[in-house]
Amino acid sequence: MPHAIFTAKRTPLTPTLKADDDVVHLNGYTLAAATPDAANARRGQLDRCALLDASALPRLGLRGPNAAQALIQQGYCLPERPNTASFQPEGSLIAQLSASEFLLLGAPSLTPSPWADSEQPLRPGPGCYLLPRQDTHGWLALTGHCVAEVMAKLCGVDLSPAAFPVGGVAQTSVARINAIVINASTASRPCFYLLMDSASATYLWSVLEDAIDEFDGARLGLMDYLAIAG
Amino acid sequence: MNRYEPPAALHDTATDRLAAPMGRRIDRQAPRRFQFEGTPYAGYAGDTLASALIANGRYLLSRSFKYHRPRGPLTLAGQDANTLVQLPDEPNVLADTQPLTEGLSVYGQNYAGSLDADRDMKLGALAKFMPVGFYYRAFYKPKGVWKYWEPLIRKKAGLGVFDLDADAGYHDKAYLFADVAVVGSGPAGLKAALTAADGGARVLLIEQEPELGGALTYARFATDTAPSERLLDDLVAEVEAHDNIRLLCNATCNGWFKDHYLPVIQGRRLYKVRAKACIVASGAFDQPAIFRNNDLPGIMLASAAQRLMRHYAIKPGQRAVVLTGNDDGYLAALDLVEQGVEVAALVDMRAAPNETKLGDAVEAQGIARYREHTIFEAHHAKAHHRVTGVELRPIAGRGEVGEARTDIACDVVCMSAGYMPAYQLLCQAGGKLSYCDETAQFAISGLPKRLYVAGSANGFHALDRVVHDGARAATQALRDLGHQVDVLDAPKGALEQVNYPWPMFAHPKGKEFVDFDEDLQIADIINATRHGYRDVQLVKRFSTVGMGPSQGRHSALPTARLVAAATERSVSDTGVTTARPPFAAETLAHLAGRHFDPFRQTPMHRRHVELGAHMMPAGDWQRPAYYPSRAGTLERLRCQQEEARHVREKVGIIDVSTLGGIEVRGPDAAEFINRIYTFGFLKQPIGRTRYAAMTNEQGVVIDDGVSCRLAEDHFYVTATTSGVGRVYQSMLQWNAQWRLDVDIANVTSAYAAVNVAGPLARQLLERVCTGVDLSAEAFPYLGLREGFIGEAPAYLLRVGFVGELGFELHVPSRYGEYLWDTLMEAGKDLELRPFGVEAQRLLRLEKGHVIIGQDTDGMSHPFEINMGWAVNRTKPFFVGRRAVDILHSHPPLRRLVGFRLPSTSAKPLEGHLVLEGERISGNVTSCEYSPTLDAIIGLAYAAPERGEPGQRITIRTEGGETVTADVVALPFFDPDNQRQEL
Repeated sequence: MPHAIFTAKRTPLTPTLKADDDVVHLNGYTLAAATPDAANARRGQLDRCALLDASALPRLGLRGPNAAQALIQQGYCLPERPNTASFQPEGSLIAQLSASEFLLLGAPSLTPSPWADSEQPLRPGPGCYLLPRQDTHGWLALTGHCVAEVMAKLCGVDLSPAAFPVGGVAQTSVARINAIVINASTASRPCFYLLMDSASATYLWSVLEDAIDEFDGARLGLMDYLAIAG
Repeated sequence: MNRYEPPAALHDTATDRLAAPMGRRIDRQAPRRFQFEGTPYAGYAGDTLASALIANGRYLLSRSFKYHRPRGPLTLAGQDANTLVQLPDEPNVLADTQPLTEGLSVYGQNYAGSLDADRDMKLGALAKFMPVGFYYRAFYKPKGVWKYWEPLIRKKAGLGVFDLDADAGYHDKAYLFADVAVVGSGPAGLKAALTAADGGARVLLIEQEPELGGALTYARFATDTAPSERLLDDLVAEVEAHDNIRLLCNATCNGWFKDHYLPVIQGRRLYKVRAKACIVASGAFDQPAIFRNNDLPGIMLASAAQRLMRHYAIKPGQRAVVLTGNDDGYLAALDLVEQGVEVAALVDMRAAPNETKLGDAVEAQGIARYREHTIFEAHHAKAHHRVTGVELRPIAGRGEVGEARTDIACDVVCMSAGYMPAYQLLCQAGGKLSYCDETAQFAISGLPKRLYVAGSANGFHALDRVVHDGARAATQALRDLGHQVDVLDAPKGALEQVNYPWPMFAHPKGKEFVDFDEDLQIADIINATRHGYRDVQLVKRFSTVGMGPSQGRHSALPTARLVAAATERSVSDTGVTTARPPFAAETLAHLAGRHFDPFRQTPMHRRHVELGAHMMPAGDWQRPAYYPSRAGTLERLRCQQEEARHVREKVGIIDVSTLGGIEVRGPDAAEFINRIYTFGFLKQPIGRTRYAAMTNEQGVVIDDGVSCRLAEDHFYVTATTSGVGRVYQSMLQWNAQWRLDVDIANVTSAYAAVNVAGPLARQLLERVCTGVDLSAEAFPYLGLREGFIGEAPAYLLRVGFVGELGFELHVPSRYGEYLWDTLMEAGKDLELRPFGVEAQRLLRLEKGHVIIGQDTDGMSHPFEINMGWAVNRTKPFFVGRRAVDILHSHPPLRRLVGFRLPSTSAKPLEGHLVLEGERISGNVTSCEYSPTLDAIIGLAYAAPERGEPGQRITIRTEGGETVTADVVALPFFDPDNQRQEL
């Protein structure tokens, strides 16, 4: 049984690892180590079309009439309106899902997140409730210049750059399941985050794998991604 | 009679092509070999199958549907049924759109014998015995005779042969978004796209053919072709270079749906286009003239002949006759002459062309011109394989000819009787067609918001006016989309006269085809009106006109004219038949391709698969039904019974992560739970669980679960796997009214859960659990604790669903697989064994526990299912309270009872009826063989008077056999609940 090499935390898409695979730990999850060579090829793949499981990165939700105030008090910069997201200086992202609900996504970084094991740093008070998004939602990332075209195979919302700019948030149906799509593109690389019911992550992964095939897309490990983009 | 005899060596190979610039579509450097009817041929890449066959001198491509008449290309644009052929794995393929590929092997279809010598052609001789609608009347009398006719008719009906083993290949769908969708890339479409894109709109340009340009790629617009060629080059270059325009060639817009939702088929993909505005520049269909034998191979639309030359570099024939009702026939004649075709005659149904210079131009080429003449009959050789000549007559009146006869030999006839706008999409959108008797043309009006028509579809045919109209439509679209733009006026002046008003000439011997698809002649349409079908829609249904593959593109206009004349009305009164989507044939593979079938998996799913579990669906979830038996087999009953016995004797583990989970937090959490569920919850102690049943406003039990009080203001409640979505929605809906200070979160996927059940359950947990005193005294039945399983934080619930000492462990889902691994590892020496849903159902049945949704239906109220104990009638309110009170005050109509049968009895199945004499009094909801009790046990609805133990109920089982079961007290097993409370 290969179970022993895993830590206790696993993402919905925890890969099948062999006992002699090189592994690393990030936020308490076991991941395949970044492959040391061919960084340029991986960068090219990221630019072209790549799909990766970002579920080992921290995320949580905050909801309630006092949620916005609680985040502001913590020094976060909030989006201007629902269905938009704002990047924080340290690289994390806050998406506003409604007037009183926020989704916090940790920075895509090799630095362990303070949220990884505890949500207490946010110290929610009355009228402010933490939501266990680390467990309710899987987190996939789709990168490359064809992200809008890939999504057009799965989603009835126009996610082209003109209609869905960086920082846009779409709470919609993707391949018939509910999903949150966030345009987290950088100046150099288009990137969509997709957050879906964690129990449906395997399903959506398989659907996306099929969809990216047309664009010469490929799967990429999170550590490979972080080594390049983090 | 003059008959044209082609030279023997004509068109032996594919090398007889016209010189460039003819043949814009073919690559002369890329020859392609293929077979038709077993005979090898050659063509070029870029050819269609039809063009390559014509290049090889073969015009006969198909047989007609009814009379099996030889047919050849009519439009060469995929707009008629004359080129339907059979591919190895696909029937009814249009040869004039099927790209020629290396090694393609194609056959004709719908013939007996061979395509060239079809024995069924003799059906044509019986035509007078098969008038329109004959089959509605002929085969049903005397009564019962249909069953004899049906096999014969079925054998003769249909066209190609479907290969049931064929793999349609990968088809999928995708959305496309645009500000403006332009359908058609002729001169109007190109100009519309450019104007809209220049104005800042994102434009999607949809073109059915392989290249942009529409009629500019094949038609001639004036004696001097240079201006239109330059226009084509300029427009295409600008469109292709424009960043705001996305092009879709080889793409058919197959319908218009509300708010500009357009299905567009390109290759194996169905695009679902969402546009903010739509410009239909779909052009107009060239119309045939109707005369005797107008369907012979070699008789084609003038535009088809021009396509042959300009697209494929093929001479349509050696000696042509052009029949026209407009100036375009003159231009086509000039094209033919320039490409070396002898034009034996230009037959103009009018007195003179609109453009008098055209008459001079054709006469300057030595073409004999016959004015106010028509073709009255086309001639053929014995086998009908090709037109060999025509008989001309002077036109004496509407549809009438004089006696003077002129015979002319030819091997090709080009017709241009007028145009019918490609109005299909516009009519689907609600556009209304009106007919102008003066111009004999249709116009369309009443289009919905942001839908526009441009170009020849809008009645303009002069090139400059067509282009202007495209720009005009685009400026209107831009304005309506909020762009700052000056809207252009419509092209000035009257519409050009392009339609000859009555290009139909009945012949005493008939065979003047109005509808080529259905072999309908002039008399067929008129006869339909004589049967009393005055409405053109009824004529369509009675005669089947317009119901074939070409969907009335060439038959709608003449049918409307014939019906109008026969019923002494105008075409404006009769209208034309309705155009419904799809515009062109679409395959089921396009509709079915790449469907999405979501599923959900628990965090432990991989372990179940590794263990070889037989998985079953539970809503969207995939759950293990059972695991392999000790013998390694996957026999349901054996596995179920082994697993159940193991739980009763040792310890088992079941993945219950699919259970719904809802967190209710806030100062009013207890009040909220108390209103939602039937029991009392205000005083539920922290650290205790409580059964929670939910009724709707009609008092019907709709869900149940366990309420866990984690803190004064924090509840975690479970719900059924399939019901949690509805429960959550219902909670949100109620609190929208109540405005209680709570937060309600569906956390189903946030927790992975297992139930560890069996006499050894505590012993197992003691090995892995920390932070909790697991003793019976410290952690009693229905207790709730928070602790750790290994590293995983967990809620521990003392539950008894399966009737054994049991602990339900809920951990954050990221620890789900770890939880499973930890327990399985720790339980090895205790012989811990996983059990599936099937065993769980048996175990709970032995305990008489109800499954909501299986043992209840849309009428089950709590007292009917013996759950009165779960209703707190002292509290003032819960959802459904009033209805429950009313239902309880009425005499009961039925009751859910436990029944027992000997193990040797026939076993009832779920759904089998419970009978009270002849009357149905209920049905079985659950039934299993219990190895623990060695008896068949079950739950069933029965008459209330049968509800007490000692009564008997009659159940009708499979095959109608009835069994009489004993009604027994519940639970069946461990009535004092000693085992679960250990």
